Amino acid sequence: MAAQVMKPGRKLDERYLARQRWARAAWVYGAMLALAVFFIGPFYVAYLGSLKDNPLEWPFRYSFAQTQPKNWAAAWRLGQLGASNPWTGGFAPGANIPFQVSYFVEDGQEPQTPVVTVPTRRAGAGLGAIFDEVQAAQYARVSEVQEVGRRSAVVGGQPGQIVTYSFTIAYEGQGPRAPRLPLDIEAPRGQVYYSATLDPNRLERRGRVASWDSAAPGLLGYAFRNYVRVFNEARDPNTGASFFLRWTLNTFLVCVAVVLTTLLFASLAGYALARMYFPGKNYLFAFVVFTMTVPAQAIFISNYLVLRDLGLLSSLWGMVVWSAVGAGAVFIMKQFFESIPREIEEAALIDGASPITTFFRIIIPMATPALGALTILTFQGMWNEFFKAAVVLSGQQGNYTLPLGLSFFRNAYGVAGDWGLMLASAFLSMIPIIILFVVFQRYFVEGVSTSALKG
Amino acid sequence: MKRWWVAGLALAALSMASAQTVVRLQGFGGNDTAIISSLVREVVNPALQKDNIRAEYQGVEGDYRAALLNALSAGTAADLFYVDIFWSEPLFASGRVEPLNRYFTQQELSVFNRNLLNAFTLRGNVYGLPKDFNTLAVQFNKDLFDEAKVPYPNQTDTWDTFKDKLKRVQAALKDVAGLCVVADHARFGAFAYATGWRPFNAQGRTVLDANFRRAFEWYTSLVKDGAGKYAQDLGEGWTGGCFGAERAAVAIEGAWIGGFLRDKAPNMRYGTTLIPLDPVTKQRGNFIFTVSWSMNAASRNKEAAAKVLRALTSPEAQNWILSRGLALPSRSALANSPIFQRPGKENELNRVVFQGSTSVGGAVLPFKFGSLDGGEWMRPINEALLAVITGKKSVDQALADAQAELNRLVR
Repeated sequence: MAAQVMKPGRKLDERYLARQRWARAAWVYGAMLALAVFFIGPFYVAYLGSLKDNPLEWPFRYSFAQTQPKNWAAAWRLGQLGASNPWTGGFAPGANIPFQVSYFVEDGQEPQTPVVTVPTRRAGAGLGAIFDEVQAAQYARVSEVQEVGRRSAVVGGQPGQIVTYSFTIAYEGQGPRAPRLPLDIEAPRGQVYYSATLDPNRLERRGRVASWDSAAPGLLGYAFRNYVRVFNEARDPNTGASFFLRWTLNTFLVCVAVVLTTLLFASLAGYALARMYFPGKNYLFAFVVFTMTVPAQAIFISNYLVLRDLGLLSSLWGMVVWSAVGAGAVFIMKQFFESIPREIEEAALIDGASPITTFFRIIIPMATPALGALTILTFQGMWNEFFKAAVVLSGQQGNYTLPLGLSFFRNAYGVAGDWGLMLASAFLSMIPIIILFVVFQRYFVEGVSTSALKG
Repeated sequence: MKRWWVAGLALAALSMASAQTVVRLQGFGGNDTAIISSLVREVVNPALQKDNIRAEYQGVEGDYRAALLNALSAGTAADLFYVDIFWSEPLFASGRVEPLNRYFTQQELSVFNRNLLNAFTLRGNVYGLPKDFNTLAVQFNKDLFDEAKVPYPNQTDTWDTFKDKLKRVQAALKDVAGLCVVADHARFGAFAYATGWRPFNAQGRTVLDANFRRAFEWYTSLVKDGAGKYAQDLGEGWTGGCFGAERAAVAIEGAWIGGFLRDKAPNMRYGTTLIPLDPVTKQRGNFIFTVSWSMNAASRNKEAAAKVLRALTSPEAQNWILSRGLALPSRSALANSPIFQRPGKENELNRVVFQGSTSVGGAVLPFKFGSLDGGEWMRPINEALLAVITGKKSVDQALADAQAELNRLVR
């Protein structure tokens, strides 16, 4: 019994301990925050990029037209005025849209009335380049441009005045509804664009032309234009139906089918390996584990030929058959079953249950955590599966899954892709998996612990 | 009674449908899917209705070449498919592609642009009909040249006058580059051909001689001498990207830039002119980028496929594509199409790109590199361009390294 010797020195008072605790907490949370920023940062930047007209703009701006609440309100109102549709806008008979634009003119320069046109715009890529959409230019009538006010101002250190002009765009008479109302406003080079009812999508020709993809865009059509385009531009050339929803549905079908087959086969195989006795069981298990080390790329040719002979190429079932069960899943289930006490099965045996009954009525209900984890892991793995989809589904656009569909936008212009569409479609494809993760994250953690720690 | 009628009709319709021959087409995904599917629906299938043939197009996303080679080796390839000139020769040599001489007379073949047809001819056999093509041209932003008070590039420009114009624009407008320079043989090679240099000499070797060096020095000096900026430094991967954002005064691209600019810079006032002349040889150089429709040697309906092929490359089909400004026709007769003579920046672009394939274009070579994989062959040259443009190597060092690598590749 050696008495503890208190070292003279710092006094361990409460305040010191509290400070220590706070410092520790600060370190831990600081590290977590840093990690979160590190991982979320790129997502956030990519998300902002997906809202922009030019996602590649440099230097990167964090605040731009699509993030301004003022523009959201204006886009909502203009969509309502253009086609009674505040969400996606348009230009329909009876529309009458008042619009204002302001220019900064330096002192000593005489302001000139800008030229307003509703141009004909055909899409440069996608189906828009093939099908002629209804052009608002044929039906829009722009009123005379009136100057409605001047005020003195200093912009960029230069004294001058801000001149505001106003006009209306009307759709008189009857006719079809145009999906958008493109607008160009051109002013001489010295006149600097200052503001407008709705900020333009682009300033072109060195600031001479303010250009709107649609002056009646609606909220989604303005702030989430690339997202709306994803649905509009990837269409079936023969039916005109949107591909993107189809791809999402295909992905869900494949994921659900593969989850079901994996749960069934992996639990049966895992149970057999965990509980039954037969010669060579350990060798068989070693072989199953060994197959986990073989990359899909190494065996894809043989799989491809098998699928060809089964007539499953270009069909979603080919994806399902190829991914029906994985060695990893069997391994997880085996480890879990081994952690269940044998006494439970013995009790069932004494009560007269057959092995089948025992398995389905007693063991499976007990394996919910492992099955939940397996569901999540399989679903997520399948959702993001690109390689198999590229091999099996090549050439059947109606049968694409999302990861393959995303590459549809990669060569929109032949040599270059449309980054706005690529980013927007990637974010859309992430949403279901994020929801899944948030709802089931408990199982993720459990899945990792059951597969790694037990057994 | 009525039910029997309906059933009978349904059966008749089914038997008619089953008697129809379906010819599968395969090609690039993305935009091509939209274009070719529409072409098939509006032009090809109506023309083939009397023969009871129906064509179906399948666009392949991702790596088309890998998908095609897979499908050919597994026997699941379509009856007709695209073959890119870039990797055509090894594929034609493999015997997997049907020679077309049996299905088309000499007269039928002679209507195609000779340069293009030759590009798909191997040992006297024609292995593909050119679907359409592209060459390189110089696109310039008129506003930027006006603002810098520099005359527009034109077809009498030599490398020196062209470079001088770019330097003056870049000096006058601080925030604009003359050209976005890319370290890519697919652009630089056009200048190298103008000097008389060829990818393979008479002995079949690649020799980076004095002519090559002259073009190489000129091209890599653009950034150093203030006539351009390296594209990646401006966050872009191709000359058209900077051009569309008004950050470069010129681009060197083909007609594909038209659709891009229509979406990204609809109001840009741009003009198009031919690639500048080598000041020494007074020649131009250019690439022909083209894709063929080729027939699968293992196809079960070759006769039907030949009919579809005829319809796909018919004057009606090519006019349909041309009138939409989607691609350039491979039939020589369509050079005089009134569509080319229409006013407008996109028609001018198409016209000049089309001219690039004729004698005005100078030394025009197909974008392929013998029996080698084009990507493999170009890699040493691209690396040399990159090393010099970014200042990592001297011209001597870079060319010596590239030559050593090419000697290893080209045996």
